[in-house]
Amino acid sequence: MPSGAPSDLELMEGIQREDPEALSHLYDRYNGILKALILRVIHNEAEADDLLQEIFMEIWNQAKNFSAQRGKPLGWMVTLARRRAIDGLRKKQAYARAEESLQQETEQQPEAWVHNSTEEEILDGDRRVLIRRVIGVLPPAQQQAIELAFFRGMSQREIAAKTNTPLGTVKTRLELGLKKIYDGLKELRDEL
Amino acid sequence: MSFEEFQNRARLFVVGALEPDEMAEFENARREFGEKAEAFISECYSLSEAFALSLKPAKASDQIN
Repeated sequence: MPSGAPSDLELMEGIQREDPEALSHLYDRYNGILKALILRVIHNEAEADDLLQEIFMEIWNQAKNFSAQRGKPLGWMVTLARRRAIDGLRKKQAYARAEESLQQETEQQPEAWVHNSTEEEILDGDRRVLIRRVIGVLPPAQQQAIELAFFRGMSQREIAAKTNTPLGTVKTRLELGLKKIYDGLKELRDEL
Repeated sequence: MSFEEFQNRARLFVVGALEPDEMAEFENARREFGEKAEAFISECYSLSEAFALSLKPAKASDQIN
C-alpha cells in the first residue's frame, strides 16, 4: 500500500458512511485477490467476474455488520467471498466441471496450490511467496485436506470419502496443518 | 473442552471445516471462554487471509458497475 493511502479499516469506515469512493478504492486494492479466490473455487472466468461484482455489492450492503474488533477487513471480505463462491459452486452446474478439474489437478499436480508460481511471479509478490513458503512446508496430504476444506467447502466427511482416508486421519491432518500455518504466520507477521 | 482443544476447533471453524456435531460443542466452549475465545477467533481469520493471499491475483473486469 503506498504511503498516505487510506488503510483497509479507513476504507471500511468510509463504506459504512456510504462513501462510494471508499468502495472503489477497496475494489482497486482487492479485486485481483478476491477474483483469484473465486476462480480457485468455481474455475469459470465469466461466473467469477459476475460473482466478484455481486460480492462487492454485498460488501457495500453488509459493511454495517463489519466490526474491527472481530477481525481485519480483508479477513471479513475473504470469508464473505469464499462463502458466496462455494454457494455458487453448489448451486450451479459448474460443480461438475469444477469437480472434473479438481480431479485432474489432484492427479496431475497435487501441490498446485503452492507450487504453481513462475520465477517472475515470485519476484513479483514477496508477501505471496512468504505465505506459500509457510504453507509449502506442510506434507502434501495436509495441504490437500486444507485445500479441499477451504477452496471446495468440503466437510471432513466429504474429504474422507473423496480421498479414501479415515475420518480421524482427515481431522488430524486439518488440525495439524492449520496449526502449523497459524504458527508460521505469527512468525511472519512482522515481515508481511 | 480445554482451551487448546478450543483453539484447534477455532482454526477449523474459520476455514469452514467444523462438522455439525462439533459446532455445538464449539459454540458452548466459545461462550465459556468469552472474550479470550473471541480474541483467538479474530486472530484465526489470518488463516483465511493467508489462503487468499497465497494465490496469484487474477485480472478482474475493468470496473465495478
